[in-house]
Amino acid sequence: MRKIRVLSLLVCLCSAPAWAALGEPIESVETDRRALDGEIRSSALQGYTLHEITRPDGTIVREFASPAGIVFAVSWQGPAMPNLSQLLGKYFPQFQQAARASVRRRGPVVVHSATLVVESGGHMRGFHGRAYISSHMPGNVTQEVVK
Amino acid sequence: MRSRAIRVSSSRWRLVALSALLLLLAGCDDGGGSGSTIASGPSTPTPVNNTQAIQVNPGPANEDIDVAFTSVTICAPGTATCQTIPNIEIDTGSIGLRLIASQVTISLPQVSDGTGNRLGNCTVFADNSYLWGPLSMADVHMAGEKASGVPIQLLGDASFASVPNSCNSGGTDDDSIAVLGANGILGIGLFRQDCGPSCVTSTSPNLYFSCPGANCTGTTVPLASQLQNPVWMFPQDNNGFLMTLPAIGATGQASVSGSLIFGIGTQSNNALNGAQVYTADNTGAFSVTFNGTVYSGSFIDSGSNGIFFLDGQTLGISECTDNPGFYCPNATQSYSVITTGTNGAAGTVAFNVANADTLFATGNSAFNNLGGSNGQSFDLGLPFFFGRNVFIGIEGQTTPGGTGPYWAY
Repeated sequence: MRKIRVLSLLVCLCSAPAWAALGEPIESVETDRRALDGEIRSSALQGYTLHEITRPDGTIVREFASPAGIVFAVSWQGPAMPNLSQLLGKYFPQFQQAARASVRRRGPVVVHSATLVVESGGHMRGFHGRAYISSHMPGNVTQEVVK
Repeated sequence: MRSRAIRVSSSRWRLVALSALLLLLAGCDDGGGSGSTIASGPSTPTPVNNTQAIQVNPGPANEDIDVAFTSVTICAPGTATCQTIPNIEIDTGSIGLRLIASQVTISLPQVSDGTGNRLGNCTVFADNSYLWGPLSMADVHMAGEKASGVPIQLLGDASFASVPNSCNSGGTDDDSIAVLGANGILGIGLFRQDCGPSCVTSTSPNLYFSCPGANCTGTTVPLASQLQNPVWMFPQDNNGFLMTLPAIGATGQASVSGSLIFGIGTQSNNALNGAQVYTADNTGAFSVTFNGTVYSGSFIDSGSNGIFFLDGQTLGISECTDNPGFYCPNATQSYSVITTGTNGAAGTVAFNVANADTLFATGNSAFNNLGGSNGQSFDLGLPFFFGRNVFIGIEGQTTPGGTGPYWAY
C-alpha cells in the first residue's frame, strides 16, 4: 500500500503543477482531492463541470471547470478551514494581501477586484467561502452558481 | 440537577465525583428535617457568584476596536497555585481557552495523547491566520465558578514543536500580544469542544497533532482531551451564559463595561425573561433574511468586530479606503433584517452602519454601528451585543428555553 502511494505521489509531482486549483487546468482537481484526502464526485452541468470533493470530516470543496478545461471557481464549507494556499494557488497572495491590509478588522476576508473575487467567512465548526476568476467564467455562467 | 448525572461523561471522573458529592450534600439538606422549606423543584447547589466583569477597550496592544475582554484565573489542577491573566478576548465564535505562553507563569501539566506524546492544536480562522501550540491542563476560575481539569492551549510556546505544514497555509501566526491584540482568547461559543466528534474519528480537520519532538503528525483525539468550553465544565450554571453590554451612543465610547452571567435560568440574574430562543444548526449557524433574500450560514460572534454583511456595491454604499473591509457611507445607514433559528423562531434585528473612518477618528474603541463586507452570510459581531442581553445555550445542555445550541435575545 505504501509503495503504491509513493508511486502515485511521484506521478503527481511529475504531471501536476505545484499548486491547484483556481486558474489551473482541470487536472489539478485531482491534486486537490489527494491533498484533501477526499472522495470526488463529478457532474456535467449547464456550461461547466462541477467536481465536488468530500473530506472525511464533512468538509466539501467544489471546483468549477469551464469547457476550456480551466478551474474558474472554487468553494468550500466545513467544520475547519481548508488549505487556502492549495485551493487558491497563484491567486493566494492577493487574498493574503487583503487579509493583512485591514489590520483593525477581525472577521471574514473579502477580495472584490475586477478580475478576482474571494470571500472567506464563518467560524469554528462552520467555515465557508468561495473564489472565482471573472475572466475565466464561461459566458453563460453567472457567479450565483459558485457556492 | 436532573440532567447533570446524564451529562457527565465517564471519562471525567473529577466532575462525576464532584457531582456525586453535591448530590449527596443536596440530599442531606433536603432530608435534614427543615420542615419549613417546601421543595418547589429539583434541589440546586448553593449559589455561587456567577457574574464575571467584562470590558470593551483598546486592549493590551492599545489598538483594538470592538473587542470584549475579561480576566481569567488559571491554577495548576487541584492546587492553590494560580495566576490571574487579564485582557483575554471573549470569543463566542470559537471554543477553548488559549493563552499567549509568555503570560503563563505557573507550571501546568501537559496534555498527552495515548502514546505519551504531547498534543498540539492548530486552529485556522476565516482570515487564514492561525493559532498553534501545545495543550496543558488547568483549573479555570471565573467569578465564583470553577472548571476543573480543563485542557487549554498555549500560543507562541518557543519550546514546543514548530508549526506543521498542514496547519500553516501561508497565514499569519497569531502567537503574540501584538498580533492577537489580547493575552489570550476565551472561546465560549455554542459547543462543548472546539472540534467535537469529527476529531475523535478522523485527522482530516487538521486540528490535533501528536508531537513526539520537533515534528508533529495529525492524530485523533477523544472528546475529553480536546479544547473545552470551560462553562459547560462548571459544576453549576453550566448550561450556557448571558453576555450583556449596555447601549451606547452613535459616536461610540472609549470603553464599555458589561458582564458575563453564567447559567441560563439557574439563578435570579440569568432568567430568559421572554428572550426569543433561536436554535443553531450543527455548524453553529442560523439564517438571516435581508430584502427578501435568505442568507443561511449566518451567525452571532463576539469575536468579530463588526456587522459583516454583503458588499458596498450591493448595498449602494462606499467601502473605506483607509480601513479596507469596513463601510464608509456618506450618511449613517439603517438596516433591518430577520433572524430565523432552525426551530423556526423569527425576529427582527435592526442596526446602523456609520462611516468607519469617522468612527475610528474619534479614538473610541467601542461602536454599535461598525459594519463591513462579507460573502454569502451575515456575521453579527460585537456591535450586535450593545444594548442587548444575548444568551448562549451550549450544545446538549438543558435550559428553561430548551436544549442548546442556541442564541436567545
